[in-house]
This record gives sequence, structure tokens and C-alpha cells, in this order.
Amino acid sequence: MIHGLVLTHGAVGAELLRVVTMILGPEPSLSAASNAGLSINDLTALVATEVKTASTENSLGTLVFIDDVAGSCATAARLASVAAGPMRIVSGVNLAMLLDFTTWRESLDLDDLARRLVEKGRSAIGVVPLGDEES
Amino acid sequence: MPVVLARIDDRLIHGQVSVGWSRKLQPDRIVLCCDEIAADSWQSRVYATCAPPGTSVSVMDRAATVAAFNDGTSCFGPDERIILLTADPKDMADLRRRGLELSNVNVGGMHYAKGKVEILEYVWLNREDIAGLRYLLSAGTRVTAQAVPGDREIHFDDDYLDTVDGRL
Repeated sequence: MIHGLVLTHGAVGAELLRVVTMILGPEPSLSAASNAGLSINDLTALVATEVKTASTENSLGTLVFIDDVAGSCATAARLASVAAGPMRIVSGVNLAMLLDFTTWRESLDLDDLARRLVEKGRSAIGVVPLGDEES
Repeated sequence: MPVVLARIDDRLIHGQVSVGWSRKLQPDRIVLCCDEIAADSWQSRVYATCAPPGTSVSVMDRAATVAAFNDGTSCFGPDERIILLTADPKDMADLRRRGLELSNVNVGGMHYAKGKVEILEYVWLNREDIAGLRYLLSAGTRVTAQAVPGDREIHFDDDYLDTVDGRL
């Protein structure tokens, strides 16, 4: 199983996981972390520890979801990727991505899963038609 | 070239800098001054990708930073608006010690580490940090803490740092 880490500003990640749990029930090997109050070194160490721990527990790697492609979470995840273990980073995390992640993480490898989730996340973004508009 | 913001921030280029301050100050260039990162081309590239579109990034060690600002053959454009970043007060103080003029320094993010005391939610200091800030004050630099534009500025002076030192 591929491990998931949702690494975000503030409590965004924790709240997203709370909603995932509300919809699907408790999910194993899926956690959230925040950059709040952490230096870039401590944030990098947090990611590295999570990825290493997952890899020693027979995970097929870790998918790190981040909210912003160019913030401290992105920098920390990229810096951690050097020595931490198998991982991929996907930015722009949203609920659709996380729900799809739980469906496919046992049947796809890291690269294919990352690609799939980017498409899934994009497909969930759009202008939603109003009640009397054609979709 | 005008330094529109000289900032101490252990996250260096991140959202508060690349969005918050950059939106307000419209910098042409961000100078990230850190010996360790400047010596590592991969780390340099990681940080450079965090800059806002249209803003150049120079990752330089302390010696190169002072030279770039102070010698007549600067690699910076004469009218470039520059955000200068160091990760800690020690490096910013060293730039001042080497002759870089710094009228104002912004303390923007110094996060928790063992042996540091909290003075603001986003500023934790140890004695080495305090020494660096004291040096900047002694050199005539105005030192304030402010995470993002619009936040209240907190002025640092020797009395304030004495109080912080007393808590360590």
C-alpha cells in the first residue's frame, strides 16, 4: 500500500483528512502534517521521517500531497526527497484527489498514481453550472 | 540597487515572501544569502523555483552577496528592487560587518528550536540570535519584526533584547 502524507499550511491537511474519514471511515496509512511553527529544517526532517517510516513498514512508497507548489511545504518535501525513500509529490491537494488516492493506492505504482491523481484533481476544478444552466 | 526588504527568515523563499511581500514590494530580484545553500546547486534550484513569476533569484554566499552589492561590477541591475534574505541574524549581522549598508532589517520568521525562547508566534531567539540582532542595532540598523505586510511592526531595541536574554 502506498502511504499518503498531506502536508499543508495551517490545518488544511488535517481538515481534509477529517472529511475523508467522514466519507469513507478511518483510512490506514494516511496522515496530515502542518508547516505551522516549523523551520524549513524541521519541516524537512518531519517529511523525511514519515517517508522513511513508511518505507520500513513495507509501504510501496509515499505520496506527499501539498497545497501550494511553491511554498515551504513544497521546499521541505523536495529537500526531503533526496534521502528519504521512494516518494512523489503532488501539489494542489483537494478532496477528489484524496478520495481517489484511497481507491487506487493498492493497485497503481507511485508514478502512475501520481499522474492519475493530478488528472483527478484537475477534473474536480471548474465552474459549476447553476440550477438552470447546461453543464 | 535599492534593497526594498532585508529579511531574516529561516524558511527563506516561501509564501510570505513570494506572495505576501512580493505583491506589496514588486521586487525584480530575490537574493538568498546562505553559504550552505549557495554551495549546493540542487538546493539552490529548489529555492529558485519558489520565486514569483518575473522575479529573478540569486543564491549567493555572504562574501559574494557583499561583493555584488558593493563593488562597481555588480551583477545586479542599477535600478533593481531587491529582497535580501538570510536564514538567521548571524548571517545578516555578518553582511553588515562586511560593509553592506542596511538601514532596516525585518525579522520575519525564526521558528522553534531547542534552546530558543518564544517572543512572538513566529520568532524564537537564542543567545546567538540576540547577539546578531544587537550587532545590527549597534551598527545603526533599525530592526523590527513583522511576518507579513499589514501586521503590526514590533520594534527591537537593546532593552527589549535584554528582557529576552533574561528569559534564556
